[in-house]
Amino acid sequence: MSWRVPLAHIAIPEEDVQNVLDCLRSGWLTMGPRTGQFEGEFADFVNSPHAVAVSSCTAALHLSCIAAGLGPGDEAIVAGMSFVSTANAVRYTGATPVLCEIGGPQDMNIDVDDVVRRITPKTKAIVAVHFCGYPAKVVELRKICDERGLVLIEDAAQAVGASVAADGTRAGSVGDLACFSLFSKNQLCVGEGGVVTTPSEELATKVRSLRSHAMTSVTWDRHRGYAETYDIMDVGFNYRLDEPRAALALSRLPRLAADIESRRELARTYRRRLAGLDGLELVWSDEDVEHASHFAFPVVLADEPTRDRFRERLSDLGVQTTWYPAVHRFTDYVENFGELSLPNVEAAAQRHCALPMSAHLSQEEIDIVVQSVEEALADLPDAAAA
Amino acid sequence: MAAATETFPEIPFFDLKVEQEDLDAVAETLRSGWLTMGPRTADFEKAFADYVGTKHAVAVSSCTAALHLAYLAAGVGPGDEVIVPAFTFAATAAAVIYCGATPVFADILGQHDLSIDPEDVERKITDRTKAVAAGHFAGYPAPVDVLKELCDSKGIALIEDAAHGPGGYLKDKQIGSYGLAGCFSFFSNKVLSVGEGGMLGTDDDDVAELANRLRCYGMTSGTWARHSKTTTTYDVVGLGFNYKLDEPRSAMLMKRLARLDRDIARRRELIMRYRTRLSKLDGLTLPFRDEDVATGSGYVMPIMLSEPGKQGEFRAHLRDNHGIQTSIFYPATHEFTAYRERFPGVSLPRTELAARTEVTIPLYSHMTDDEQDRVMTAIEDALR
Repeated sequence: MSWRVPLAHIAIPEEDVQNVLDCLRSGWLTMGPRTGQFEGEFADFVNSPHAVAVSSCTAALHLSCIAAGLGPGDEAIVAGMSFVSTANAVRYTGATPVLCEIGGPQDMNIDVDDVVRRITPKTKAIVAVHFCGYPAKVVELRKICDERGLVLIEDAAQAVGASVAADGTRAGSVGDLACFSLFSKNQLCVGEGGVVTTPSEELATKVRSLRSHAMTSVTWDRHRGYAETYDIMDVGFNYRLDEPRAALALSRLPRLAADIESRRELARTYRRRLAGLDGLELVWSDEDVEHASHFAFPVVLADEPTRDRFRERLSDLGVQTTWYPAVHRFTDYVENFGELSLPNVEAAAQRHCALPMSAHLSQEEIDIVVQSVEEALADLPDAAAA
Repeated sequence: MAAATETFPEIPFFDLKVEQEDLDAVAETLRSGWLTMGPRTADFEKAFADYVGTKHAVAVSSCTAALHLAYLAAGVGPGDEVIVPAFTFAATAAAVIYCGATPVFADILGQHDLSIDPEDVERKITDRTKAVAAGHFAGYPAPVDVLKELCDSKGIALIEDAAHGPGGYLKDKQIGSYGLAGCFSFFSNKVLSVGEGGMLGTDDDDVAELANRLRCYGMTSGTWARHSKTTTTYDVVGLGFNYKLDEPRSAMLMKRLARLDRDIARRRELIMRYRTRLSKLDGLTLPFRDEDVATGSGYVMPIMLSEPGKQGEFRAHLRDNHGIQTSIFYPATHEFTAYRERFPGVSLPRTELAARTEVTIPLYSHMTDDEQDRVMTAIEDALR
């Protein structure tokens, strides 16, 4: 059952283990000083004034949608190529996600022209996704939002450390709110966790309040004698991170830039060694690789049956891969929103395949992946005909 | 325990102690590199289900998440009402609002028994009532047997907010195993604690299936299933959430569950010591009865001051003169700003009185007799 090369390696060095154990030994596990410190250091890393740690990126998206003022009757335009939680978060508020197009299989990020076409008087926000860690055109979207009074939310779940402009502007520092994931497979991972960043003190305050049931004080404040009791000002949630996870994130954060560089180097290697193979297309460009933070490495095959056979063959060879289905084709979305047509999203969903990507893939594993890809391509029955 | 400041609290109202075997389990999990919901969570779910006596247990990120999923499983949606206690944490009511439904607050039995009053519940049932949520205050069993009969006769669901369990019993069954679903908390101050976490226990296959799917975005397979080659892709069925627990927390909970009965036994012993000495004092009463202690989970030690509105003064005295931290379980949910604005005009006289007299005094399983004696001496001093 074990893979020769799994999709992602999660290496937890001994220093991380000891930092978590120190936190556990302290006996203080609920949100407190380590969470506060992590928020400060994370905000510095993404170059945003405020960071609020939460239980997941889905929670981050939910709170961001509420902070953006979304509610029943509103619409938010959401990139059609993403994990389902991007669109779900809009629905949690009672608003309607309007799924929009992407560039295509070779550019799986939100299509700015299609966004503009879908703006209606009900539109309140745009949710752009930096898919696989490749920066979406959020600088252009920022202008559009400013002109029309819309809120820009960056789903940066996969893009911590990516640059969205030539000047190095960080993903997550352009939107009114940005949402990051600390899930297992992410560049900065702790298991389950997320972060909201925002330039707005008002939005940060709102998100911070709603993550802990809109209580006017938290357990840590009361433990220190700063507050004796509390009021509840709104209908909030339990979207708190806890201290052991904050300790793990804090321990890992100093290595994040180097880890992203390792991922980038792997992307460069893959591109060099896979370029020109018959039946396989690389996505984005060499230049994009330099700006991306490399959550995943997608490649594109001729069509869906070919992609499926390719994945099956790689699986047989012990190489784990994945792919992202089109959100609008999920049963729940078809039931609620009918049969939408988003040809570029559908083509991308049908044709892409993500190869193993992590900061610690060994040379031997890279060789296995590349050789397996070559073998899988050679075995495709229609390769010659195509 | 983390020292909050140099001097306070000398005796906290709760304290969480992590043992070496907990640390070893977490370290081993971290070193394995598999952090997201997988085999350790599945093992813990099975052990927890065995412990509370439910057919299924579904691990989630918090008790709030468990309540949300339990209400959804009971079919609660826009236009529906759910009867909830106001004398508990606000999550019980908030999760009703997540479903688009309206929380209808029921009163408690009184200062002597802080459980929800089945007669008041019955009075508040309407055509729109879809479920009743009963909390087990401080881990003392609420009359969920009576409520179960009532709910069954009306064709509505009973949901147990067993955040203050597990380990409490009503007759021969654990609290949390009477309703359609029981919702448990593993928050820091709970009897079984890990930081943040929760569990939904149920005997109903459909409820378990729904909770299992909706805690993970409505996906028909999870990351572990794909890693372990059980499936290669997934569909999304229903509007789901990320309410997953992760492996380090499951590993730690597994170790702590094995010690839970021992911890609860010590909590009960401490409660009886409290009751023996504090019951002699003028100026306070103790809710519940001595004979209830043996069937409670021993979550917290509530005392009721005889004179309403004196909690601030009493608590300040314990804090400033004795370094003792206390809490209030609970400010009444219907009196919070957010609830007064949304649901004005709610009157629950017994809840309101309790919210103005209750003080929660320190209790944790590794509390020493000396520490406890200091607390009791301080209370005697404060009442003088």
